[in-house]
Amino acid sequence: MKPRTLLAMFIIPMGLIIAAVPQNKTKPYKLTADQLLAEVNTRTQYITPDAVADMIVKKDPSLRLIDVRSQEEFEKFSLPGAVNIPVNDLLSDKYTDILNQDVKMNVFYSNGSLVANEAWMITRQLGYINNYVLEGGLNYWFDAIMNPQKPSTVNSDEEFAKYDFRKSAGAALGGGGVVASTSEQTSASPKPAIKPAAKKKKAAGGC
Amino acid sequence: MTKSKERKARPYINPYVGGVLLGLVLLAANFVSGRGLGASGAIKSTVVTAMNTVAPEASANSGFVKEFGEAHSGSPMKTWLVFEMLGVLVGGFLSGSLAGRLRFKVEHSPKITSRRRLIFALAGGVLFGFGSQLGRGCTSGSALSGMAVLSLGGFVTMMAIFGTAYALAYFFRKNWI
Amino acid sequence: MGPLSVNEIISENTNLFLAFIIGIGFGFVLEQSGFSSSRKLAGVFYGYDTVVLKVFFTAAITAMLGLLFFSLFGWIDLNLVYVNPTYLTSAILGGIIMGAGFIMGGYCPGTSFCGASIGKLDALVFIGGLFLGVFIFGLGYNLWEGTYMANFLGSPKVSESLGMSDGIFAFLLIIIALAMFWVAEWAEKKFPREEY
Repeated sequence: MKPRTLLAMFIIPMGLIIAAVPQNKTKPYKLTADQLLAEVNTRTQYITPDAVADMIVKKDPSLRLIDVRSQEEFEKFSLPGAVNIPVNDLLSDKYTDILNQDVKMNVFYSNGSLVANEAWMITRQLGYINNYVLEGGLNYWFDAIMNPQKPSTVNSDEEFAKYDFRKSAGAALGGGGVVASTSEQTSASPKPAIKPAAKKKKAAGGC
Repeated sequence: MTKSKERKARPYINPYVGGVLLGLVLLAANFVSGRGLGASGAIKSTVVTAMNTVAPEASANSGFVKEFGEAHSGSPMKTWLVFEMLGVLVGGFLSGSLAGRLRFKVEHSPKITSRRRLIFALAGGVLFGFGSQLGRGCTSGSALSGMAVLSLGGFVTMMAIFGTAYALAYFFRKNWI
Repeated sequence: MGPLSVNEIISENTNLFLAFIIGIGFGFVLEQSGFSSSRKLAGVFYGYDTVVLKVFFTAAITAMLGLLFFSLFGWIDLNLVYVNPTYLTSAILGGIIMGAGFIMGGYCPGTSFCGASIGKLDALVFIGGLFLGVFIFGLGYNLWEGTYMANFLGSPKVSESLGMSDGIFAFLLIIIALAMFWVAEWAEKKFPREEY
């Protein structure tokens, strides 16, 4: 049989199949289950409320807070400067640029840390970096920053320093009580460094 | 009676078979390197290297060299296309020798002279070289590889190339038929 | 998951080595199909030899289908594959100039290397012309930089511009290509041909 006819007989059905079948739009997983489990076990995704409060007070431009609760809850209360990405919409194309980048530090938060962790796990599995979870979520935030407990006198200096810091941070953020302490307001824990993303180069081509 | 030194060259393969094979090569290129085939880029690399070697200060100021440098870090010759074109030379040579087509000659229609053919080859080359830079690719890089990934630019360039060639074919017919 | 080089499954140097191997395949297939002969290449414009059309479009639809099927099976991530950008003005203008070069020279850069590798002197001269042409472009770059950068549309796919899915467009192209093959065969029967 002539090659031309053979070609046509083969390629037309292939073309029909490819025209009929919906495109494969799944985003590939970058991490295996093992790798993800290892990361989850080290708990490196957590960032303390102290570190975040510090960044807010200092107006650190690299911080981006992401509220993963529903829009309603976001509108009722949200942390200063937060963006709302409800967790059901997490994979929508409009948020990819926010979630997959290497310029800012994204901190997911929710009421507890359950939903924020869900968001972190999903984005981590897609290979996104620079995403973190606010330890304890909003519940702990209120307790620790907005209404810090004054430590009893037997606690260490460190605890007092933390308390002082939290009071002023809370004041700055609109909480109760005030200590206009001008002493060093160092955050109790260092904030993690922003990791540059691996050069996601689309292959250069042309010519 | 002298024995003829000319072996009869093997015939060319069926074009549809060749097309499928070429498509598979293109597919491999996309799968391995995330890009299609190309040719004019290798020429650009060589010209940029020559400019850098012969007149470093002048070429450092050249917009052309700068534009090239933005897209490529490192040595201008260490690019995908340069390696690919070296392969093309080897592959063509292999195929030609297997098929008995290796011969120095100027290929031209019997109705014109070699000299005329060479003049037109040079002129055609100059035009094509210039056009390939403007069009960001030649028939391999822009038209063929562009079509395989459904690029709009690729299609537009392809239609412009073939359309113009068809339109001008009448004026150059003496060279070919 | 492909592309191998972009997903860093192979190193940059392996990528360059494989480029060489792919180039060998490219050159081999081109020469075997007769693309080392300028008379065969120019034939498509006169109807006496339509090998360019057949090989070109068969390759395009094969690779296109191959990529779409690979993507379907999850063997390649099409978002990482290079899609040629569209600068409308220079794409058209460059294409016109190239078309003139094609009909005059009878070669394109890829096929000229192929022809040169088997000893065609006109191919060699064509390559010399290529260098000259690129050099001229580089010399006067400032004069045409504006045109060169005009009308940047990003990297749209034709299927996007026409508002259809990739698969449907691929099928359309297959039909068009096959139709062209039938016309090409008819044209060749009308003109006497000898093998070059």
